[in-house]
Amino acid sequence: MTRERHYIPESRQREKPKSKYFAIGHSMKRVEDTRLLTGSGTYADDVSLPNMAHAAVLRSPHAHARIVAIDKSKAEALPGVICVMTGAEAAEVTGPCADFSSPPTPQHCIAVDKVRHVGEAVAAVVAESRYIAEDACELIEVEYDPLPAVVDIEDALTSSGDAVLHPGRGDSNVAMQRTIEFGPVDDDFAQADLVIERRLRWPRSGGTPIETVGATAHYDRGTGKFTIHANTSMYNYVGWLIAVSLKVDPHRLNIVPTDAGGSFGSKLFCHKVCTLAGTLARAAGRPVKYLEDRIDNMTSGDAHGSDRLYDARLALKRDGTMLSMRLKVVDDYGAYFQYGVGQHGNAMAQVTGPYKINSVEVDLTAVLTNKCQQGAYRGFGSEVGNFVIERLVDAACEEFGIDPIEMRRRNLIEQDQFPYIMPTGNMYDSGNYQAVLDEALGMIDIEGWRKKQAAAREQGRYIGIGISTCQERSVFSATEFWMWNPNETPGFTLSSSPESVSVNIDPTGKAFITLNAPFWGNSPETMAVQVLAEKLEMDPADISVGYADSDKGFNSSGPGGSRFTVMIAGAVSGAADVIKEKMLRVASHMLEADPSDLEFRAGSIGVQGVPGKEKTLAEVALHAHYFRLDLPEDHDLTSGIDAAYVYDHPVTTMPSEDRTDLGIFYPIVGHMCHIPVVEVDVETGKIDFLDYVAVHDCGTMVNPMTLAGHVRGGTVNGIGSALYEHFHYDESGQLHNALLSDYLHPTLMETPVDIRVGHVETPSPFTEYGIKGGGEGGRMGAPPAIAAAVEDALKPLGIKVDSLPLTPKVLRGMIREAEANGG
Amino acid sequence: MTTPRTVELVVNGEPRAADAEPRMLLSDFLREKLALTGTHVGCEHGVCGACTVLVDGESVRSCLMLAVQAQGAEVRTIEGLGSADDMHPLQEAFWEKHGLQCGFCTPGMLMSAVELLESNPTAGRDEIREAISSTLCRCTGYQTIVEAVQAAAEKMQGEGQ
Amino acid sequence: MKPPPFDYHCPETLDEALALLAEHGEGAKVLAGGQSLVPMLNLRALHPAVLIDINRLPGLDHVSLEDGRLRIGALARHRAVLESAAVREASPLMAEAYPYVSHGPIRNRGTLCGNLCHNDPASEMPAVVLASDAEMVLQSASGTRSVGAGDFFTGMLSTAARADELLVEVRMPQAPAGQGAGFHEVSPRKGDFAYVAAGATMTLDGGTCSGVRIVCAGVGDGPHRARAAEDALEGAAPGEDAFRQAAEAATEGLDPGEDFHADADYRRDLVCSLTRRALADAASRCH
Repeated sequence: MTRERHYIPESRQREKPKSKYFAIGHSMKRVEDTRLLTGSGTYADDVSLPNMAHAAVLRSPHAHARIVAIDKSKAEALPGVICVMTGAEAAEVTGPCADFSSPPTPQHCIAVDKVRHVGEAVAAVVAESRYIAEDACELIEVEYDPLPAVVDIEDALTSSGDAVLHPGRGDSNVAMQRTIEFGPVDDDFAQADLVIERRLRWPRSGGTPIETVGATAHYDRGTGKFTIHANTSMYNYVGWLIAVSLKVDPHRLNIVPTDAGGSFGSKLFCHKVCTLAGTLARAAGRPVKYLEDRIDNMTSGDAHGSDRLYDARLALKRDGTMLSMRLKVVDDYGAYFQYGVGQHGNAMAQVTGPYKINSVEVDLTAVLTNKCQQGAYRGFGSEVGNFVIERLVDAACEEFGIDPIEMRRRNLIEQDQFPYIMPTGNMYDSGNYQAVLDEALGMIDIEGWRKKQAAAREQGRYIGIGISTCQERSVFSATEFWMWNPNETPGFTLSSSPESVSVNIDPTGKAFITLNAPFWGNSPETMAVQVLAEKLEMDPADISVGYADSDKGFNSSGPGGSRFTVMIAGAVSGAADVIKEKMLRVASHMLEADPSDLEFRAGSIGVQGVPGKEKTLAEVALHAHYFRLDLPEDHDLTSGIDAAYVYDHPVTTMPSEDRTDLGIFYPIVGHMCHIPVVEVDVETGKIDFLDYVAVHDCGTMVNPMTLAGHVRGGTVNGIGSALYEHFHYDESGQLHNALLSDYLHPTLMETPVDIRVGHVETPSPFTEYGIKGGGEGGRMGAPPAIAAAVEDALKPLGIKVDSLPLTPKVLRGMIREAEANGG
Repeated sequence: MTTPRTVELVVNGEPRAADAEPRMLLSDFLREKLALTGTHVGCEHGVCGACTVLVDGESVRSCLMLAVQAQGAEVRTIEGLGSADDMHPLQEAFWEKHGLQCGFCTPGMLMSAVELLESNPTAGRDEIREAISSTLCRCTGYQTIVEAVQAAAEKMQGEGQ
Repeated sequence: MKPPPFDYHCPETLDEALALLAEHGEGAKVLAGGQSLVPMLNLRALHPAVLIDINRLPGLDHVSLEDGRLRIGALARHRAVLESAAVREASPLMAEAYPYVSHGPIRNRGTLCGNLCHNDPASEMPAVVLASDAEMVLQSASGTRSVGAGDFFTGMLSTAARADELLVEVRMPQAPAGQGAGFHEVSPRKGDFAYVAAGATMTLDGGTCSGVRIVCAGVGDGPHRARAAEDALEGAAPGEDAFRQAAEAATEGLDPGEDFHADADYRRDLVCSLTRRALADAASRCH
């Protein structure tokens, strides 16, 4: 019934999926790798400028305190120290950091007056070396007046007075509360035979890439211009906001992207580090490098993931038909609110999962606490939604005694229902969910495992099989960042999220692609090369890729929300069309044939039906570059072959005023099925993987090898979230695991020996070649599947998995309790 | 003696010398004094393994060793393995098998693998897993790294015969 | 995360090293493998005035078995100990436990003696040497003394070694013929310090358990010897029930401490299950 609520824009797809490709679909070795494999990458810390100085920050030891006084005299007197800045001093020249929340929660690159979480910068030192800068930090004396720390997510709902983090937003730590009903929730619940209800807890973890965030800034006093080299992703989209913080016009800030040693969302923006480095460089009168150390990154990297408490309900008919959901969620955002509740905007893209659920009500409360603020982490909030709905579905299976596979089969959206408008108004463009399930089941012998499980239980061993069938929304549109905002304070209601490229064909016929987004750890160059090679039937080895800085770049959102491959395919495809047209025109003169009679062949342009009558791309390019007078009078036919192209989001619409329809904002929707088999050691609480199957449908695959890499890497991130990772704040707000010795990334030994990846390809009707995003899926499917597997293993003990991570202590605690109760 | 002293050593076969304060970490010395930025620093407490280099043939965390301790030592880093047009079999195999994504852990992975295969050319999967488990990778899920080292081992054995 | 400034000495002889220790005392730290010390320096958890690097001292990297005595020198690296035939012959328990110690690059640098002097309560080797009647040979400019393992580990990250003393060697009697050993550990991840580790040795003497030793790591402020459990098993016939009872005895009155990774109940559970497993392995390996 929601389907009629709005129209679906006509597809702008120009390149249809093909049965046979020239370059797409091949597991081509990556273009990026040769420099990375030879130690020639340029990461944030590899930038070195003449006369460069180094910065370190003094971190707050308090979770919440007033800064009463700072004595920096001893630090300033230390030989090798160039300058020491407090927050108050920085604030005289630099404004607050960029902030997309509405109303804002002002955050400064160095705290002013108050610290709101452990690790927040209180002062910064610029010195001749990082060593000396850290020496000087130890000499800064700060007097604090501690304030009550708000740590517990539920305490945050009621805290007031001195415990309020941002009194300017009112006497409460509730940053936002809103309830939206999508569809006839009351009616649907009234029809239900059963309502499943679970209280579910999703823990705070984070992308925590091995490379931290860093920036090297130079301020040119002759021109008043900043140049900042940083491992930031969205510098050509919102990077100009850093100039606003630095109080210069955007054209007086050039952001030069470096290679990034992983992001997983955490380096989307990195504006605080850039703002700090710029501020210090201007003050020091020298280029300054500031690189977060590991503790800075973990305590103050502004990139913790979702931290949610759900009271979740699923209404079903007796036959297992899912009708509706009611979700009451509190999310602990930490001390600031940089993206507002963008993570919940995101989750609304697929909140009802792959199921034919008619309506949903979401009651969202965002709270502020004295912790590092949230940012983005692979899934950006949607991974939590997947966990919640899959837990509800599994609970319903248990209640009804329906097999989890059968339950899903009955409720999955059918192939003929696409494009499908789900209750929030988002569109699922295409899919074949039963095929994904079939493929996964074909890769694993469930019956065989059930037999092994039964035999193991005879021996007191606990094996479990889990399944998840989840959505992977891809290609975000900007409306997700503000659609939850109150209508009276809408914030920055942008609706553009383009990607762009430029392509130059050199006189020898080889191509150079300039991206306006950085290398953030994935395969942007490989994707661009494969698409351009496809379009021009060129040898991929004849194409190189570079990255535009913000001086030269133009509007590009950059990677995020699993959009880059789809968007770059659109941009490259558009640019290639311009180039093709020009090459055909040049070739038509050279071959004395009408352009419409010409065709691209591998490496050349020839006359259709006339073998041998052709010119190589190199010949055409040389002609176009240098022999203008051989071409006819035609003002459009300028020398050279170049194109720049901006590709806007393929299909997005505005939300309705009352937000009961959020519009189409995350429409390119993949699907996955994960089936892990685990064994739980009930005495120690340790979990081992015995098998793991992950089947993903990401539409047309540009490069199956790199896509499988994403699936596996994301799955291991999901294993981390499910079993190992959790930022542990104690009741006073101290973070106890800010080091990689205690914040537990899975090592190779904690991961399955073989994550067996399968693919189904359901091309999108809206994107070039039918490509869908695939960057986040692994982490979106693994946690619910692992939770289900553990619950299945421990079924004889009656244990329910309602929260993550399932650390050995937690699991053993539940088992101990079950044993005590005679389980 | 907090004053700098000259550290002389052999890096990737070349004699090198530079001054270092005693407290300077070998990782910083390689990166800042010798401009060998291929060795990466991820945690500075010995856990992530990105900074792993070979000192006198053995893998070490260069963030847990002082530069002055490397006086007279033979150090090998990723830069010494091979160039884009003349790759070491391990580099080739990492490329072929997609054993890297962001590339930040790659120097540590490669140098650990070099140590393993030079000391145990017939290393099997379990030995490879053991060796590789000392370095964290946040991107790949490790599987293709193990496959790459296996492939390189096979290739290197073939070439050795 | 860079070390604070310090004076650095790299003596070439033991006498020189001991003289430096005598001179600088509490203000000095000995740098051996550095795998615990350097992280603490990087974190600025320590601010030593002087670092005395012993890595160039000659003749201290031995791992040898002579006259029924295993001798491991101050500069014997974990890897050398792990790969030592002498260790396998002389101490089945150490051989069982060593694969749990960290990772390759850490083992290449880290030393057993440095590990013992650091005395992290979650570390494996203090428990192993405690079970093995090891003697710590402490040398200073004023002389040499030997301290039994039971007296050496004095508390959280502390030992009986004086500031002017260097642990130059660990000596352990060769395990009795026929001894079996078992070692089990649960750690956050492979290679991490233990939540809890349990080691056991015994011989089977006429069908009964004899010379039983049970030690744990991760259960307090240092290695722990579970004497009540040893007593419970000594002279008993080996078997699942006996091992279970001994393992339960190992938890009685135990206050293992807790942190956010592992609470006291969890640690007690692990002591029980891992001790039982270690005992079963030890018994099965007696010959």
